[in-house]
Amino acid sequence: MSQQTHRISGGLIDRSSTLGFTFNGKPMQGHPGDTLASALLANGQRLVGRGFKYHRPRGIFTAGSEEPNALIELRSAPHQEPNTRATVTELFDGLTATSQNHRGPLEFDFMAVTDLLYPFLSIGFYYKTFMWPKAFWEKIYEPIIRSSAGLGSLSMQEDPDTYDKGFLHCDLLVIGAGPAGLAAALTAARSGAQVILADEDHRAGGRLNAETYDIDGISGTEWAAQTLAELSAMDNVRLMVRTTVYGAYDHGVYGALERCTDHLASSDGKPRQVLWRIYSKRALLTAGATERPIAFGNNDRPGIMLAGAVRTYVNRYGVTPGKQVAIFTNNDDGWRTATDLAAKGVYISAVIDARDIEPPATVAGAAVYMGSSVVDTAGRRGLHSITLASGERIESDCLAISGGWSPNVHLTCHQRGKPQWRDDINAFVPGGTLPAGMQVAGAANGALSLGAALRDGADCAARTLADLGIKSKASKAPTASDEAHRSSAYWHVPESRPRAWLDMQNDVTVKDIKQSYKEGFRSVEHLKRYTTLGMATDQGKTSNIPALAIMAECTGKTIPETGTTIFRPPYTPIPMGALAGRARSKDFRPYRLTPSHKWAENNGATFVETGNWLRAQWFARPGEKGWRDSVDREVEMTHASVGICDVTTLGKIDIQGKDTAEFLNHVYTNAFLKLPVGKVRYGLMLREDGIAYDDGTTARLGENHFVMTTTTANAVLVFRRLEFARQCLWPGLDVHLISTTDGWAQFAVAGPNSRNLLSKIVDAPFDLSNEAFPFMACSELTICGGTPARLFRISFSGEMAYEIAVPARFGNAMMGALMEAGKEYDAVPYGTEALGVMRIEKGHAAGNELNGQTTALNLGLGGFVSKKKDCIGKTLSLRPELNRDDAIRLVGFKPVDHSQTLLAGSHFITKGETANMANDQGWMTSVAYSPTFGHSIGLGFIKRGHERKGEIIRVVNPARNIEVEAEIVSPHFYDPEGGLQRG
Amino acid sequence: MADFTLTAEPFLGRFEQHYDDVKLREIYDVAVVSAAIPLRKLTAAKKAVRAAFGVDLPEVGLSALSQDSAMRILRLGTDQAFVVFPRAQQDTGAEPHIADLLGGVFYTTDQSDVWVTLELSGAGARRALERICPLNLAPDAFGIGAVARTSMEHLGTVIIRTCDDSFLLMSASSSAHSFLHAIETSIANTA
Repeated sequence: MSQQTHRISGGLIDRSSTLGFTFNGKPMQGHPGDTLASALLANGQRLVGRGFKYHRPRGIFTAGSEEPNALIELRSAPHQEPNTRATVTELFDGLTATSQNHRGPLEFDFMAVTDLLYPFLSIGFYYKTFMWPKAFWEKIYEPIIRSSAGLGSLSMQEDPDTYDKGFLHCDLLVIGAGPAGLAAALTAARSGAQVILADEDHRAGGRLNAETYDIDGISGTEWAAQTLAELSAMDNVRLMVRTTVYGAYDHGVYGALERCTDHLASSDGKPRQVLWRIYSKRALLTAGATERPIAFGNNDRPGIMLAGAVRTYVNRYGVTPGKQVAIFTNNDDGWRTATDLAAKGVYISAVIDARDIEPPATVAGAAVYMGSSVVDTAGRRGLHSITLASGERIESDCLAISGGWSPNVHLTCHQRGKPQWRDDINAFVPGGTLPAGMQVAGAANGALSLGAALRDGADCAARTLADLGIKSKASKAPTASDEAHRSSAYWHVPESRPRAWLDMQNDVTVKDIKQSYKEGFRSVEHLKRYTTLGMATDQGKTSNIPALAIMAECTGKTIPETGTTIFRPPYTPIPMGALAGRARSKDFRPYRLTPSHKWAENNGATFVETGNWLRAQWFARPGEKGWRDSVDREVEMTHASVGICDVTTLGKIDIQGKDTAEFLNHVYTNAFLKLPVGKVRYGLMLREDGIAYDDGTTARLGENHFVMTTTTANAVLVFRRLEFARQCLWPGLDVHLISTTDGWAQFAVAGPNSRNLLSKIVDAPFDLSNEAFPFMACSELTICGGTPARLFRISFSGEMAYEIAVPARFGNAMMGALMEAGKEYDAVPYGTEALGVMRIEKGHAAGNELNGQTTALNLGLGGFVSKKKDCIGKTLSLRPELNRDDAIRLVGFKPVDHSQTLLAGSHFITKGETANMANDQGWMTSVAYSPTFGHSIGLGFIKRGHERKGEIIRVVNPARNIEVEAEIVSPHFYDPEGGLQRG
Repeated sequence: MADFTLTAEPFLGRFEQHYDDVKLREIYDVAVVSAAIPLRKLTAAKKAVRAAFGVDLPEVGLSALSQDSAMRILRLGTDQAFVVFPRAQQDTGAEPHIADLLGGVFYTTDQSDVWVTLELSGAGARRALERICPLNLAPDAFGIGAVARTSMEHLGTVIIRTCDDSFLLMSASSSAHSFLHAIETSIANTA
């Protein structure tokens, strides 16, 4: 068991309780309130990982979400999560963490040899080397590079955790619960506004938890706790800790990730994370600022960290990152580290300030070097000493560096806001057009002193309330001193000889930036992509500005002239599981069941997904050896006697209004104005560009009452199209639409005995005879002793057939009743496969033919486009190109050798010609084995097909290397005269 | 004369479940009739509603209970309302009944079988809905009687706030099981 050798007094941790955890299998201890990083430091563990490219030893660099180094694999498979930042991982009892990106033990990484090869591995080396032989790149070079450089690994098992999403609404979203955010939330909440206060930390308060400031005469930490207690007690406030607002989207919508159970050993069946969509009337970004490093030689050793982070570990977690701490700064804020550490009794070995000014403070016992700099460091697996520009060597196991603070402007840029440079703080602040409704306050807005941040937060909230028309309740704004925060524009140590690291996550050095400049990659966007600067989990939060400054030096431009890369969501990484949410497995998307689904399940149905619907594909019977046996039987029995199929999935649209007939006349290509009551008519719709859109039947149930059916696939699209036509194209027509697809369970009853079967179902005195109820008739009636129903005499199978509909709640019973009534006729249920076979036998076009490229002429339905009236798509359907003499036509195909099988997707080539694109005559759209004819049949489009019946054509499928000779025939294989369906 | 009788089946088998502070149940004995207002007949439609139900036609986004509290009129659009009321499972006379009550002024369509209706009630109802309903359901933003069309888990939904902590949720009957799963998951995830 490791000892907490670096634990000191104080902090916001609960020392009354101890938590056990392991790092690389080594047992360690920490306390509630610790992060993994603070607990590792408490246990004296400085080395926590290896560099991305050169496998150099790396330690903890920050104390927040900007961490570039301390990426670990958390938990074990299948819960294993790579690339987790130790600095934001809350410690829990039983936590297991493993370092990543090394071969062999962390302390003796075999791959560290790459550091010796660095002269050959400069930026973009993979663009310039490994060029030959070409085939080696994907098979050899890239796999080797990928395996030796990179981040963590996945468990390759299914994620057992669950995730969720949700929607929130508020008057004011406050992003960041630091001093400015708390002051703003307090002002808004006291005035009655609906406030959401979100913070990525598990303890709200921001830097107040890490510093030793006073507010209104009490410590900043205490003030934060009191403020949070007041906010938590208010009904109009939603305080969301462990929640990162990661993106700003249109109309005041923000994305946020709440980590609900990441701090627990087990999720206990609850969602691990929730992805929130927050609808805000106004938003206030109070996300604070991120401290920058200064680049100098070998500045990446474990033990070197940002000065603010050192203060955080000392003040918040009661941990000292080192026992001989040196400080290297270019600003006043860095000196706070010295005073805070000194107050805790931590030994300060030196304070080095790059500015040649009077020391801003006195630090007892510490050597002070003004106008000096650190040029190198030493220590194999952790910092041992630093070397100053003067050559002096100072023993230190921790170096706190501060290069100034950069406001966290990221969310202000998510809609192309362009940050502006402020010379007085040497940083970018929000600029340009901010997302609508967003304001920025506090350090995020460049107000870097505590007093200024508090004032800015409260003032912004008051302005927002006024903007929203909410009267602001007067209350005294919290007050604090405005501490000094002068800084100098000092980004790197020019005298430094060894490699100076800028982006530690991607191993980008100062030299790399200079090389990028020399090679012409000078735009910040090119710089980023060529060097990989600012990529991966930290998105360059600590490295971007120093790198831009160095590029500016190279180009002779100013930093604002050099510009910044574009910040895009997410602000910090979002797990894929959280983005997927609860959409997984069976519930990946909604599914729809037909009314007879239960009956089908109980009667051997195999189901197929058609859109969201689950439809019976066939009904297997004992003894059948495969699906073909079942389908052949269903087709044969339907032709021989009677078959029943649930066709509820076809779209049904109830259309009423005194102008409905005229409306339909505009929508369909063929005439509907004079469709008699009690009749059904086939109709074809075109897109505006003249291409076929959908087909179906429409029945006239009354003078002003029609029921349209659509294809299953286009049910929603047709409804939407009709709504558009009704509301926008012809608003003067009295037409009203409502979908009834789900309301009616509809069954096709097809075959020579269909009438006999139905006669046992329908209530007297309804007359089913051909004279009283002929082909294309429809009627409302009652069945089974009073159940209301609709009957349509239509046929998709080519047989005498009906479609009968009952209210959906009776659908399951109806299927049973139909089968019972059909027993004496050996009635069979049939599924979508048999349905497909019979529609191909009959030559009906379906989705394969109505594919968004074909016209009425192509489909053999040219005659359906009325010349006597206008309709949607008619004008453009008359384009000459769509009416060429050699246009493709829908025809049938049967193999010359009946034992051969046709394949959909095959292309037609004239005999004697080479099978290539130039000789392509068309393609096969649908094929089936027809048990009726005993051979394969197909439908397809071929040039001048209607004039080529009897011709033998080559059916070529180069993808499968299959060629069959087929005869061009009528598409209507079965009962081409239609005598059967007319009964 | 037919020898068969058809028995109606609720879409979710009369689902009913109590959780800690939430109750979820299928309202299976409910009739839904769509009533579309003919073009330029709003005045006549208002008069018909007043005569039929003893209340004014509610504004879009609101609902109203009939004078005898037996029926709820939902105003879903400028030219569309739903009338929702209890009826026996086997009863198929909802549409002609409403058509008669409204004196034939509206175009009526039976929607009873189009929708599955769930009632979500209890102190945790709003908390559960937060996970699937994009609307602001805060009491002052979505008052008692408010009605809206929205989408929950990709499923079109009509939501009605019937009292303090009680909501009626109507979604397509064919996807009833997916809808139930969505609501149950939300309850479980927020319990």
